[in-house]
Amino acid sequence: MEQDKLRTRVLIAGWTTFVVLLVYLPIACVALASFTKARYFAFPVRAFSTEWWEKTADSIEISMIVQNSLLVAAVVTVFSVVIAFFGALAFARYDWTGRRLYQKLILLPVFFPQPVLGLALLLAYSALGISTSWMTAVFAHMVWIVPVVTLIIAIKVYGFDPTLEEAAFDLGASRLKVMTHVTLPLLWPGIWSGALFAFLLSWGNFPLSLYTAGADSTVPKWLYAKMVAGYTPMVPALGTMATLAAAAVLLGGGLVGLIMKKARAA
Amino acid sequence: MTDLKDRKPILQLVGVRKTFNDFAAVEKIDLDIFEGEFFTIVGPSGSGKTTMLRMLAGMEAPSEGNITLHGERINDVPANKRPTCLVFQSLALFPHMSVGQNIEFPLKIKGVDAASRKARALELMAIVRLPASYYGKNVMKCSGGERQRVALARALAYDPEVLFFDEPLSAIDYKLKKVLEKELKDLHRETGKTFIYITHSLEEAMVMSDRIGVMRAGRLVQVGTPEEIYAAPVDRFVSEFVGEVNVIEVTRAGEGWQGVDVPGAFRAAAPHDQPQAHSAFVVIRPEYMRFLKDGEAADNMLEGVVYNEYSLGSRIQYQVRVGEKVMLVELSRANALPAAANRNVRLGWDVADAISVKA
Repeated sequence: MEQDKLRTRVLIAGWTTFVVLLVYLPIACVALASFTKARYFAFPVRAFSTEWWEKTADSIEISMIVQNSLLVAAVVTVFSVVIAFFGALAFARYDWTGRRLYQKLILLPVFFPQPVLGLALLLAYSALGISTSWMTAVFAHMVWIVPVVTLIIAIKVYGFDPTLEEAAFDLGASRLKVMTHVTLPLLWPGIWSGALFAFLLSWGNFPLSLYTAGADSTVPKWLYAKMVAGYTPMVPALGTMATLAAAAVLLGGGLVGLIMKKARAA
Repeated sequence: MTDLKDRKPILQLVGVRKTFNDFAAVEKIDLDIFEGEFFTIVGPSGSGKTTMLRMLAGMEAPSEGNITLHGERINDVPANKRPTCLVFQSLALFPHMSVGQNIEFPLKIKGVDAASRKARALELMAIVRLPASYYGKNVMKCSGGERQRVALARALAYDPEVLFFDEPLSAIDYKLKKVLEKELKDLHRETGKTFIYITHSLEEAMVMSDRIGVMRAGRLVQVGTPEEIYAAPVDRFVSEFVGEVNVIEVTRAGEGWQGVDVPGAFRAAAPHDQPQAHSAFVVIRPEYMRFLKDGEAADNMLEGVVYNEYSLGSRIQYQVRVGEKVMLVELSRANALPAAANRNVRLGWDVADAISVKA
């Protein structure tokens, strides 16, 4: 028995290490490439320097791109969460004719190939005479992100006991107060993780931005352009920074959620 | 509560009916509930009792008929505008709030300031026997009985004229349930409010209620005091709902009845007039049956074989096979039948202890 347990533990440790390495090794390579002294992308890295990180941080062009990406991600997050919140209530909270169809339809865009979606939207924009910019990219991102956020919030809504709303209503609360005092606080963790996902998925999205952001560049778009033509080690440097930023948002967001939960439980 | 006649009705239902699509969950109910009474609606699941409660609480609107409160029609008054409050089966405590916050919720909604809210919450906690130290406690960390008290205090904080209870004790273990039943009855006395309680357990209803309404398939089959329901059930359904009973199917034979599923002629009291009924049921409680000694006679008699005996603590229950039918006899331990198994016995009972009810 004891030996079996030990073997189980060793196997679990081995396997999870393998999976983590598999996933993180490429990212580690990119990070490694960003610390080169050389101008070109070549392994092994012979001489290290932080020169390209400094250049990236000082670049006005990159600061503008990052601002674009942040703006798009922030706007996408706000709109997606609002739309997805009510969408999730319709998805999971209420019983209505057509609900099952809606549940399937809302998830379909998640599996739609994004380059095709981007191209289709580009064609639609030009047919409608809308010039593409970061704002059209926001809409494109939402087509893909709203369904994802809807699903994330819906999972929380499924665990929500609707009699709590009835109880609050019965105790004299108006519909609005039921929403602000009971429904929203209880669904808050789902809304929060939905918002984090919305932000990060928008931040990292390339195929939709490529077609629909027009002249405005975003971080993934810029990385792609520079890789195709005009490579500098600023590409892996910015790539690493973007990854770290995403990780920071995720960890920070998780931490905020945890602190709020603790504060509530106390 | 002695004189219900002197009391004013607080809630009145007139021809209330509720249908969902083609299904009638509640059928034509007429009922007066009096100010300050403890009224229990009892019935099996699917009898429409919860639907009825939801209509009274304002969470469903009747399809037909009228509900009045103090004589005013309230059919379309929403729950948050009614001076009534429902304690849910799940209790529906807000999991993101402490015990104190839960109790203060209706006060907060009314706009009462924080200091007065807290003072009132502590007052209510004392009334429902919750220690003051629980004020800041996470409500999800409370035990079943404690949650029950929090839900009760929260409902009282709303200061309703009528309190509704939707089987709040159904998930509580037996011993604690007995304690809480009595506390609820005490609370009813102390607050003087009208309590309307729903349960599937007639035993629970008997302990607490001034009056009981028995529901079946959307209809109120019988309304009466616990004594009336127990002593004179109106039909076979109610009699079986009250507890384990012996039911003999009979057809009319002169002044008495002729058994259908057991042989013999029987006589029984008829608390509810049914002069023309051709077939009926004769109901006898197990504790009213006795074993007859050799040569002893009784108003009603049956012959059978003891099949099994069960200890009920201070009493013993015997299963007696009469042909295909099983009859139950309950004796106190002092009168136990020796060497009962497989014994041929004669059962006897008095006319006054048997009642005939409609089929």
